[in-house]
Amino acid sequence: MRFALVGNPSVGKSLIFNQLTGLGVEVSNYPGTTVELQRGNTCFQREMIELVDLPGVYSLDGESDEEVLVRRFLEQQDTDAVIAVVNVTRLERNLYLLLQVAEYGLPMVVVLNMADEAAKQGIEIDPGPIRDLLGVEVILTAASQGKNIDRIIPAALAATRPSKVEVPYDHHIEAAVRSLGKISSADRKESIRALQGFGDNPDLLEAARTIADEIESRHRMTVTQIIAANRHNFAHQIAGLTVREKALHHETDPDSILTRIFPGIPILLGILVGMLLVVFIVGSFLEEVIVGLFNVFAIQPFLALGLPPLAEALGTSVLLALQAGLGIAFPYVFLFYVIISVLEDSGYMTRAAFLADNAMHRVGMHGGAVIPLTLAFGCNVPAIMSVRLLHSRRERIIASFLVTMVPCSARTVIIAGIVAGFVGIGAAFSVYAIVFALILVTGLVLSRVTPGEQFGMIMEMVPLRRPDARLVMKKAWSRLSEFLFIAMPLLLAGSVVLGLLEFFGFMAIFEQLVEPYTMALLGLPGYSATALVFGILRKEMAFETLAILAGTADLGAVLSSLQLYIFAVVTVLFVPCLATITVLLREVGSRITLAVTLYTVALGLLIGGLMYRILA
Amino acid sequence: MLPSTLEDYLEAILTVTGDGGRPAGPQEIAAAIGTGETAARATIASLVEEGYLERMADETVRLTGKGLEVASRVARKHRVLQCFLTEMLGVDADAASKEACTLEHGISDETIERLSSYMDGGAQPPPGRAGRCRGREACTLLDCKEGDTVRVAMIRGPRRNRRLLDLGVFPGEVVQIRRKLPNQSVVVRVKGCDIAISPEIATSIVVESCP
Repeated sequence: MRFALVGNPSVGKSLIFNQLTGLGVEVSNYPGTTVELQRGNTCFQREMIELVDLPGVYSLDGESDEEVLVRRFLEQQDTDAVIAVVNVTRLERNLYLLLQVAEYGLPMVVVLNMADEAAKQGIEIDPGPIRDLLGVEVILTAASQGKNIDRIIPAALAATRPSKVEVPYDHHIEAAVRSLGKISSADRKESIRALQGFGDNPDLLEAARTIADEIESRHRMTVTQIIAANRHNFAHQIAGLTVREKALHHETDPDSILTRIFPGIPILLGILVGMLLVVFIVGSFLEEVIVGLFNVFAIQPFLALGLPPLAEALGTSVLLALQAGLGIAFPYVFLFYVIISVLEDSGYMTRAAFLADNAMHRVGMHGGAVIPLTLAFGCNVPAIMSVRLLHSRRERIIASFLVTMVPCSARTVIIAGIVAGFVGIGAAFSVYAIVFALILVTGLVLSRVTPGEQFGMIMEMVPLRRPDARLVMKKAWSRLSEFLFIAMPLLLAGSVVLGLLEFFGFMAIFEQLVEPYTMALLGLPGYSATALVFGILRKEMAFETLAILAGTADLGAVLSSLQLYIFAVVTVLFVPCLATITVLLREVGSRITLAVTLYTVALGLLIGGLMYRILA
Repeated sequence: MLPSTLEDYLEAILTVTGDGGRPAGPQEIAAAIGTGETAARATIASLVEEGYLERMADETVRLTGKGLEVASRVARKHRVLQCFLTEMLGVDADAASKEACTLEHGISDETIERLSSYMDGGAQPPPGRAGRCRGREACTLLDCKEGDTVRVAMIRGPRRNRRLLDLGVFPGEVVQIRRKLPNQSVVVRVKGCDIAISPEIATSIVVESCP
């Protein structure tokens, strides 16, 4: 048995899914897409039932990744019943999707969720008309209180008939459906879809096209518009029958402060800075603790074992990778996703995206990109993992470039430790200024050259609500495990390779080879190149390695201010760390990862070289 | 009625001189028509003879009252036709302009009036320049104030932005403007839900009954 949950975004679908399945949820990407599909199991009367939580969509006829996925999923027809979740406080708009789902002809159950919210707003719901018109079971639920959730699975098991509903379309469309039926014996659903240009029967599509052109020349609307308007009007009628009595309720509208320039923008900035501070302070504190504990309880005891040199080198690389990975995983990835989930589930994310939309447009992304970009100051790894929040591949590519350039907390350590410590506070700020200018320029250029269409914003402002703590924790946990299982092995492999290279003396050869170049190009000694290379593992290691190789922690004694300044600028720009590269590989693929890596290396060397020429 | 070539000349002179107030030289006119200067001089001479143009001190000419009237009428036909072709039929702007240049000479004044009122529900188009679609200053979502309630009349480029349709923004639907930022991003309330729309999309939503 397999049931699928379908519904608009933020109708409480995930909450219902969670309450029905509990533990053991498998999150997988639908083949060939970045859209996630959640699968879970539930047991009812000793029968195993698989539940699939489809992504929230507004329509089955759209072109977004999510809509295409849901459409393909329903077309496969290997679902025993569809559980259509509807938000009763926004009934009319939700019914539009429900009618489309009903037309797919799968057995279905309708869940009218958020009954508690509706009651609070003075809306009285009568499920009768929907039950009669669609001919399917209708359940009134309140997922946030767990009310009536237990009735869903029995109802889905009992559902064997598809909905009998027929949307009354415009008479031209109805005539077209009849003639298409005669020409190629297509059923109503196929004909309606063919008229909108969907389907895989070329003859039917051809015939439908001719008829559609004819209809469009008579109306002043496209066939798609007519069909959508008919569905909306039918939804309006049903909603009128279902919603009994709507007491006009004047409640305070939080959007009157959240979406105005003032105080909306200061609030947005406050939230962004607040998040950053939390990630920064709590994150770096936790990271320090984890790295410190690892040093004391793993690395030092391991070194004390006195193993043969090769084994010791290998073991150290593995431990260093584990240290770097865990130092990112718990403090940053987990914390970051707790924050992101709270922002998303509370509905604030859409307000932030609305306010930031125009500014983000200049650099080729929509408003939602403001969140990953800000949180990248804490750590690039989860910021890259969250670029999947962006809707088009174009935006994800631009965001990957920009996010990897944002100075994360580790790079801040370098700027603070080397530049502020040995050169001066003003110089430290100038490093930030240089990086921000480069990010801006990169964004402006990328928004012009990146292929793909720029989509404008058409976004529903989802209602503000209190996020569910368990759901937030679950999301954060699933990201954390994803990072541990996918990024960690790559991190380990990379670290072992670096360790072996050093053990067999390749590093020394490399140092001698590059010394003339680093001297000529950047004015830096050869061992600084080694430090840069180790910075790939964990950015702070560039600083530590430099101190070790220079033989003193007082770097000011061995290197000039200019050399330190250039070293810091190059390190900050140069190659994202290994953990960032591994998540980049997963999110945007090897080609873009390579491009990002090469771009940042080239940029680091170029800017460092330019500074050496100008300042020396 | 004048031959179409002569009408084209008058229209071109009106266009290059802005409103017909400034005199125009033969080179300028020839360039606007896309013909040789010799041919242009010959045609200009005959238009002067017929009293549509008057010669100024140097070689330049200016539209007379009679000439201005003909030129404005042809220009208006061009405008209305081009507007109809691009906005209603979705013809590409360049092709529509060329097509309008041919049609403008054959179409009657009455048909143009009816076409114009068909497109804008009776409102008289304000005078605009030839060749650009200014015949009918359509109100879009961007022209509305916060708090306005308007009806969607038309969506330009209906095949783009499918999501608007799915969220309930389609011709005939009444929407309320909930928020309009100084940067022109808007939030509209439709079917009880708030929808944020960026300026470049809001400008393609033509609405009725806004101030």
